[in-house]
Amino acid sequence: MTADTDVRTTQVYNIVIKATPDAIWEAITTPGFTERYFYGSRITVTPDHYASLGPGGDVRGDEPVYEFDPPRKLVHGWRSRYDPECVDEDESRVTWEIDPQEDGTCVLTVVHDRLEGAPKTAASVAGVGWMTVLSGLKTLLETGEPLA
Amino acid sequence: MTDDDQVFKALADPTRRLLLDRLFERDGRTLRELESHVDMTRFGVMKHLRALEDAGLVVTRKSGREKLHFLNPVPIRLIHDRWIDKYTERQVSALADLKRHLEEEETA
Repeated sequence: MTADTDVRTTQVYNIVIKATPDAIWEAITTPGFTERYFYGSRITVTPDHYASLGPGGDVRGDEPVYEFDPPRKLVHGWRSRYDPECVDEDESRVTWEIDPQEDGTCVLTVVHDRLEGAPKTAASVAGVGWMTVLSGLKTLLETGEPLA
Repeated sequence: MTDDDQVFKALADPTRRLLLDRLFERDGRTLRELESHVDMTRFGVMKHLRALEDAGLVVTRKSGREKLHFLNPVPIRLIHDRWIDKYTERQVSALADLKRHLEEEETA
């Protein structure tokens, strides 16, 4: 078995959300929203910077933004600064795509890739990690309440 | 059909579950790779992948000239959130009720 079979160097998640592209964009780029579904992280995204702070003000993310196209596409760097096991690994990349459908919903796709140099990060965000974020985001936008 | 219906329907077929298992082992596979794991025509595999894609369980991305298939576990998670959590909660409260009932009997 090669390393590639153990580590998912490209991870793709998507979810249908009954919300406008603007509402989704706001929910992924403003701290008042993100703290309610993203493990309590207060995330602020500007056209060139992605900053994430934990509840105690600890730095969870401090990364470049590569593409900032509201309300459709956001690409930023990723380093798991909240995890001492992962913090020294190479930077990876997260892409958010918001694709409005004719029925008033949006398909939100998250691609976490370029994880070749970050195997521990890849393992820690895979599956439950991103799923918790996305199902929490959907619940928050559709019901106005965070997941219990 | 609701989204949940499509997910349950997609999961109700053994070949489709096998394809998901293969993607779970290794993500980002081409149709050609997936074909080699099932005893079925290319057309048959494409049909099954289409059903999985419609249910949101498989997402495809283009990489150069190739179309890669990725497992998207989110719809299963949503079903878990909606159904399983509900049942486990009831189980827990049923046990709590039983405990209360038995303890009340003891003191009576």
